[in-house]
Amino acid sequence: MKIKSEFLPYLLILPAFAYLMFFVGYPLAQALYLAFTQNGAFSLATVRRAISDYYFWTALKYTLGLAAIIVPTQVILALVLALVMNKSFKGRDLSIYALVIPLTISDVAAGLIWYSMLSPYGFLNKLLMNIGILDNPIYFFGYQFRHMEFLAIVLAELWRATAIVFVIILAGLQMISNEYLEAAEVFGATYWIKLRRIVIPLLKPSIQSALIIRTLFAMQVFGIVWILAGRDIPILAGEGFYQLTEIKDYGVASIYALVIAGLSILLGALYIKFMKAEYLEVKR
Amino acid sequence: MKKAVLSLFLIGVLAFAVVASGCVSKEETTPTTSEQPKETTPAKLIWVSTQLNPPEERAFVQEVLLSEFKKETGIDVEFIAISYTDLATRLEAEETTGKVTIDVIGELHGGLDYFNSKGWLMDLSNMPALSGRTFISTFEKYATIGGKKVYVPWMSATYVMVINKKAFDYLPDGLTKDDVMKGTEKWTYDAFLAWAKKLKEATGSPQVGFPAGPKGLFVRFLHGYIYPAYTGYQAKAFDSPEAVTMWNYLKSLWPYVHPASTTWDAMSDPLLKGEVLIAWDHTARIKNAIETRPDDFVVVPVPRGPKGRGFILVVAGLAIPQNAPNPDAAWKLIDYLTKPETQVKVLEKVGFFPTVKEASGALPAGPLKILAEGVAAQSSTPDAVVAMIPNLGAKGGEFKAIYKEAFTRIVLNNEDPATVTKELGPKLKGLFEEVGIEVP
Repeated sequence: MKIKSEFLPYLLILPAFAYLMFFVGYPLAQALYLAFTQNGAFSLATVRRAISDYYFWTALKYTLGLAAIIVPTQVILALVLALVMNKSFKGRDLSIYALVIPLTISDVAAGLIWYSMLSPYGFLNKLLMNIGILDNPIYFFGYQFRHMEFLAIVLAELWRATAIVFVIILAGLQMISNEYLEAAEVFGATYWIKLRRIVIPLLKPSIQSALIIRTLFAMQVFGIVWILAGRDIPILAGEGFYQLTEIKDYGVASIYALVIAGLSILLGALYIKFMKAEYLEVKR
Repeated sequence: MKKAVLSLFLIGVLAFAVVASGCVSKEETTPTTSEQPKETTPAKLIWVSTQLNPPEERAFVQEVLLSEFKKETGIDVEFIAISYTDLATRLEAEETTGKVTIDVIGELHGGLDYFNSKGWLMDLSNMPALSGRTFISTFEKYATIGGKKVYVPWMSATYVMVINKKAFDYLPDGLTKDDVMKGTEKWTYDAFLAWAKKLKEATGSPQVGFPAGPKGLFVRFLHGYIYPAYTGYQAKAFDSPEAVTMWNYLKSLWPYVHPASTTWDAMSDPLLKGEVLIAWDHTARIKNAIETRPDDFVVVPVPRGPKGRGFILVVAGLAIPQNAPNPDAAWKLIDYLTKPETQVKVLEKVGFFPTVKEASGALPAGPLKILAEGVAAQSSTPDAVVAMIPNLGAKGGEFKAIYKEAFTRIVLNNEDPATVTKELGPKLKGLFEEVGIEVP
């Protein structure tokens, strides 16, 4: 059996294409249909219903707010950790393992772990009360303690998801050839100058991919927030889930899903546009 | 060649479809009992219930209730715990195709009322009398709809106030312990506010608690207690001036409510830990506190508002579907489940209240008696405005969400009550229109 070579490329991408059409294309079309039609005709009624909801804008605000705080903190933290771990010292391997462990835990499990630690009679409060520092527990959860809930979410997310940024940046660091650093040393560059002029620019591709991955995940953050704050801190994915399961409003739920998709595409495009990877060889 | 690839692809799609459909249609197929002659005992009765669904309660039904029923009658019962939506779908399918497999339905009043309106339930008035029990008249009245006996009242529940006896030391002027225990004219929401204020001033921290957490039932307090107490209705007067007065009242009460209320799903623990002295919750969710320390707590009626003492009565009933395969055996199960002894067991184990008078009398002195007395005191107050949870089916979630949103925005975020209720009112009434039932 001979296959004509002109068809071969199409045949080879066919499985992947079919997979994407079935698992991405079809749901996407369905979501668009649910969001923009009513009784079979084009209509903006669902959109109006979604954006007139008090929770829509709050959810958008909190999702972007959480991302704006968590993602940069994670990148800085991961960069520092990666720089430390890139040096050789005793127990380095063990430390890397310890840092990466949270990566293997699902977000819901991580949420539950932090919930049991921070709950009014959880590990942290019990400890502080037994030592005698506190008389009454510190409340981390509940609508009237939303700032604390926010803090708990940030803490849990930092603990859980910094590892992925760390792994990407560490891999990037290890790819930087020692020649550049040695050359810089010959010219008497200090640690800071090496970091600013050589390491960070060379790390840009790694930082870019870490940022894209983390920001996309931040747009769809769900498990941790749902466990720790429920709807006290509304987020887009949580509201979508709520509309689907509790309210049974499939149209509005689709709009939340589409907003997440739209934001992800927009932010991904912005990163690619404004963070062009630089390579020393081609830079003038 | 292209054909071969295409057919391979089609085969793949077909195989996937077969597998997928196998995964989807996993609906339990039960052996049809309809072919057997009617008078003999059936192989297995099918009892479908939206109540007693949590694993612990399900185990109690299977291991205690049904095994005992089998010993008495020799009839096997399969207990199927199911959600309201699944039940409605299944019953509709069975009734329209005529292949009924369900023998007994256990559901709340609202759901049974709806099933009856669709003509899916049997008239039970021609069944033999159930001896040795007197059903509480309110329940009997609700179970007869349009002259047809739709269901047999099975269990009931309500929401009450629990008071730690220490709180009686701080009663405000003009209110006595007796007023509170019996629910007199003087036990009003304003007196409650004065009491809450005095408690906070005397103890230094707020002593009133509500289950306003994510899974808490505080929303029932809003639509079934304080709304009827102030406006006379659950939803009809949602955005009335009386409602605005009510929201302003809640705003003034909230500083004296424990701030962790928005984290609490059930009030049993906060009461036992002494975090609050006064709490409101579902009877099943405070039962544990009273059982653990029966000497410390009393159960009392809720306060009254300008329009009376609003409270919710939850009634679950047992019904037999139209054209059910074994109505006689089904009636035996209903007979067994509404016997005073069985009802006491249900109260002891899961905290649902009896619907027959003999059961309340059979209660031994102790924690359950405290609870039962509180419930009885509340039910028998002369100014009662009884609310039934409206049966909105799939829209029930949205109904609760509207009250919750109003509360969050008005009381917690300090928005103007008139504006918020005007904004949400049409949404709320729209729900009732959509489902086609009267606004309560």
